[in-house]
Amino acid sequence: MKGNIIKYARDNIDTDVIIPGTYLKIHDYAELATHAMEGLDPDFHSKVKEGDFILSGKNFGCGSSREHAPIALSHSGIKAVLALSFARIFYRNAVDGAFLLPIEIEQDAYDGISEGDEISIDVSINEIKNITKNQTYKMKPFSEIIGKIIAAGGLFKYKPDQD
Amino acid sequence: MGKTLFEKIWESHIVVEKQNNPTLIYIDRHLVHEVTSPQAFDGLRQNNRKVRRPDLTIATMDHNVPTTDRSLPILDQTSSVQIKTLEKNCKDFGIKLFDINSPNQGIVHVIGPQLGITLPGTTIVCGDSHTSTHGAFGALALGIGTSDVEHVLASQTMWLEKPKPFEIRVEGKRKNPHAVTAKDIVLSIIKNIGTGGGTGTVIEYRGEGITDLSMEQRMTICNMSIEAGARAGLIAPDEKTFDYLRDREYTPKNYESLVDSWKDHLKTDNDAKFEKEFILHIDDIAPQVSWGTNPGMTCDVTDSIPSPDEFSKGDPNQKRGAEKALDYMALKAGTLIEDIKIDRVFIGSCTNARLEDLIEASKVIKGQKISPHVKAMVVPGSQMVKKQAEEMGLDKIFINANFEWREAGCSMCLGMNPDILSPGERCASTSNRNFEGRQGTGGRTHLVSPVMAAAAAIHGHFVDVREMDLS
Repeated sequence: MKGNIIKYARDNIDTDVIIPGTYLKIHDYAELATHAMEGLDPDFHSKVKEGDFILSGKNFGCGSSREHAPIALSHSGIKAVLALSFARIFYRNAVDGAFLLPIEIEQDAYDGISEGDEISIDVSINEIKNITKNQTYKMKPFSEIIGKIIAAGGLFKYKPDQD
Repeated sequence: MGKTLFEKIWESHIVVEKQNNPTLIYIDRHLVHEVTSPQAFDGLRQNNRKVRRPDLTIATMDHNVPTTDRSLPILDQTSSVQIKTLEKNCKDFGIKLFDINSPNQGIVHVIGPQLGITLPGTTIVCGDSHTSTHGAFGALALGIGTSDVEHVLASQTMWLEKPKPFEIRVEGKRKNPHAVTAKDIVLSIIKNIGTGGGTGTVIEYRGEGITDLSMEQRMTICNMSIEAGARAGLIAPDEKTFDYLRDREYTPKNYESLVDSWKDHLKTDNDAKFEKEFILHIDDIAPQVSWGTNPGMTCDVTDSIPSPDEFSKGDPNQKRGAEKALDYMALKAGTLIEDIKIDRVFIGSCTNARLEDLIEASKVIKGQKISPHVKAMVVPGSQMVKKQAEEMGLDKIFINANFEWREAGCSMCLGMNPDILSPGERCASTSNRNFEGRQGTGGRTHLVSPVMAAAAAIHGHFVDVREMDLS
């Protein structure tokens, strides 16, 4: 998986800035996506490209249980969020619907990767490569079950009995 | 080794447990509202599934209902569609619904306990993060997203990795319990442990400072567990809990025998171990006011706003966060909290819109008028709270002080209905989140207790309610 980074160098990016409450009435995901990150970065919709990644600090996705948050990012083209840590409901929602990969990173990746850097992610070896800067970082591995749910394409496609 | 209350509830709800895998747990109650459920019901239809236990599923509409005259049509078309969709879904799937005209309508976390639907020792889920509120009754109550809502509707179970038990002991006695409230206790906790301090845990609140609280105050504490990142918050049930739930509309018929079974069992054993601990001493805590854009950015009403350096203690991300927060809030470090002028006051939300909250706030404003430049509103947490308050004459106290007195709903807590802040407006709010834009684009939120909000409405700026006679 390869893409460019949109970096929000702060902690506690909350679900209300990812998708403000007033848009939770929108059922068309393409339209929902036009409001992604609007609360924090009104330029997000014009700059995001299919396949981009978001990089941020601790406790990404804190706040509401709205699944609209990972859905809005996913339908904007975001394939993964790389963060120092995640709020658990956001993490779970992202995995449940296989909307995007929530990737926990270490400080070296957070410090080393800049806005616009091109990176590639290989979850099979838990490695993040910074193509722009020619650096490599480790990502925290997904737990076994999370990996399986993501590989299956979400909670409803995953069949535990077939293990 | 003994067990924590959380472990006891967890173990009694295991359906499937396999090593290195999440556990499938049984869900006793599923609360549903209009915003996070439509796609879940669509999913059921697409896969030809039924709701497995409609008798354990209860719905209401709260997030985007108007709080003005209910006899008028809903002007916001998208809200209207969501409300009608919930009506249809409940009809199609046989789910009990407290609709917009029901005397039991209200914020889902206010009506659950009020109707006796929330019970000790049970598991409760809802597609809303503030489900943690129900933990005040010794229930394991989890906020979930829409995929999990669908999973629970279809199977009455959910997969969960076992969270870790986290003990928060609240020690001591407040000198002035009318002025220093449960909201100030929980904001103090979050200020100390941070918005990620409870991540991956279930908090059990213990100690004299908790057992002293009424049930409604305990709900305020558990409600904000999610603001510390916790999966849930719990308080062991006691006589206050059992008394609160007795003789409610949906209290089970065999209630007394249930109480007997809960009494000795639903508490943490003396030799149980928590994986994490925090102690808060409350003898001298002050009323709290948030100054930033997350609930951890909070200080005493007598303090001045910290500089980003003071606040961040050397963490560059925290510093940047504080700088951005001050910029968004249009505040300067060093400003006294009591010098901050406000434009709006919101008394409402699942955190602080129960009867006791309204009684306490009414004492502050009785016989007074709000500041002429302030617009203020009270949105009761449920229609039942509203009715009880009106029977006590509280509505007149608020209306005479120039507050608006509204119908029940989530209202200005999250800006989904017409009750929103205009850009730049500053609000003293009894809700739970001061995130950027939470109460409306560009709106600025200060989280406070109901008495602090009421006092701010009168004075037009924050004041220390300990200096008032509230007894």
